[in-house]
Amino acid sequence: MIKVKNIKIRELNIWERIYIPEIIRGLGVTLRHLFSNLLNPSSIPTISYPEEKVLLPGHAKERSRHRIKLRKDGTPKCVACMLCATICPAKCIHIEAGETENFVEKYPKKFDIDLSRCVMCGLCVEACPEDAIIMDTEEIPGGAKDRNASYGKDGLYATKEQLFEKKREISTFGAANRLANEFLLSKERGNRND
Amino acid sequence: MQDILLNLWISHKTQIVFVIESFLKATIFLNGIMAFTALLTLGERKVSALMQDRIGPNRASIFGLTLGGLFHPIADGIKLLTKEDFIPEKADKVFFTIAPIIGLVSVLTCFAFIPFGNHIEILGHKVRLLIADIDSSVFMIMAISSMAIYSPFMGGYFSGNNFAFLGAMRAAAQMISYESVIGLSLIPMLIIYSSASMSEIVVKQGNLLMAFIPAWGIFLQPLSFLIFLTAAVAENKRTPFDVVEGESEIVGYFIEYSSMRFGAFMFAEFVEIILVSMLSVTFFLGGWQVPYLSENGFNFPFSSAISIPPIIVSLLQVASFAIKTALFSVFLLIVRWTLPRMRFDQIMSFCWKFLLPLALANLFITALILRYLGTVRL
Repeated sequence: MIKVKNIKIRELNIWERIYIPEIIRGLGVTLRHLFSNLLNPSSIPTISYPEEKVLLPGHAKERSRHRIKLRKDGTPKCVACMLCATICPAKCIHIEAGETENFVEKYPKKFDIDLSRCVMCGLCVEACPEDAIIMDTEEIPGGAKDRNASYGKDGLYATKEQLFEKKREISTFGAANRLANEFLLSKERGNRND
Repeated sequence: MQDILLNLWISHKTQIVFVIESFLKATIFLNGIMAFTALLTLGERKVSALMQDRIGPNRASIFGLTLGGLFHPIADGIKLLTKEDFIPEKADKVFFTIAPIIGLVSVLTCFAFIPFGNHIEILGHKVRLLIADIDSSVFMIMAISSMAIYSPFMGGYFSGNNFAFLGAMRAAAQMISYESVIGLSLIPMLIIYSSASMSEIVVKQGNLLMAFIPAWGIFLQPLSFLIFLTAAVAENKRTPFDVVEGESEIVGYFIEYSSMRFGAFMFAEFVEIILVSMLSVTFFLGGWQVPYLSENGFNFPFSSAISIPPIIVSLLQVASFAIKTALFSVFLLIVRWTLPRMRFDQIMSFCWKFLLPLALANLFITALILRYLGTVRL
């Protein structure tokens, strides 16, 4: 037995049937918006993007071209755990892990991001346990500020070298990073002891 | 040579002055309308944006100067001009080409009959602010503006596209239907003011009813005003009567048009808005009349009079016409962005089963009342 749900549609009353009072009511609504926005333009929720920026929720506060943070010794903070490549909805991150003599043992031998496929969602930044990948270079892929835009399609394929070269400031955040830094420190101490 | 020119000047002085005068009036008036149309395209985008809590166009700039998006009409024009002028293979090249031109010309011609001011004295010469002053100007406007139907119909029919054809059919049905309603809604005005000349109708709207209400059409015939407004919006093919285009739906008769040919259709639509506003202002809102302003200055009904030099009176009247037209055009934009679209069968039944009988009844009752009152001294 098919259930039939009867929906009662309210009949229009005479005031609504004349239509003109309702048109005037509708005009009132639109005019209220028109004048309130005209007299108080700051109430419009639009953000004029390149001039004014809003920090987005989560860890990927800005979402521009990616970069990978470096340790004190210039090695990437990335430990090739593949979390970013797994969560990426566009499947645009390609990582090949390699071995290093560093304490953390793993490093990305290959770390490519196909920016022509990237949807700039920032999930890789959220997923990264080492705070290695970040999207704060203020370059929009293919945009006016993009240094690699002149390369065309190639400029949209970010390899490891391109991802490393931006903003060479050193980060000390993250568990594996601390270990790696301690390893570095002990190595330095060992060298001094010798 | 000089003698010939001098003789010509002496023998044909009035004709030469008339030609120069008409040419200047047409140039100034039509250029003013063109500039206003360009502003209206920007205005529509801005008004709709503000109503929907958006900012609207504000990026086009000259040397970093945006002036709140004032350069967008120029940017639009340049964009349309530099686009590819495409004629589909299945289209009839001749009719496809002339369709937008017909639309633009038939709309622009109508402005010749609209009085945009009373008269102005230049070098001791009395210039009537009206390009073509003929006694049957109302009928001329009706006749010429109904030529506009050929533009969407030919554009859609000869595009060789099914959607364009559908739009053209809808446009033809809708425009021809509402044309009759427009005519019937204006006839009461002709009866009341007992004239078919627009300049005379406007002059008669300067009188006072009961010594303090201006004898504007909207006070004498409010129903006629509503019918005319509705029919004019429908004739203009704008929301709520925009199934012809149905922006989110069939795109309409100009689906195959690109470049400035499409621009001409768009431009004609906006010029039509101005035409509708000017007609409404002329028939129902007193045209160039300023309330209580006569040739010598203000004559307030219950208090003293203020005398003003005639040149300023003329300018005030032109300004009054311009302001009324601008406000009414903006009102039409606001109406467009407020109302939802009607279905096509609703549009047709609304016209033939509601508006047309209403207009006929209004005409009949007006005629009956005037018959018993005798002619109104306006």
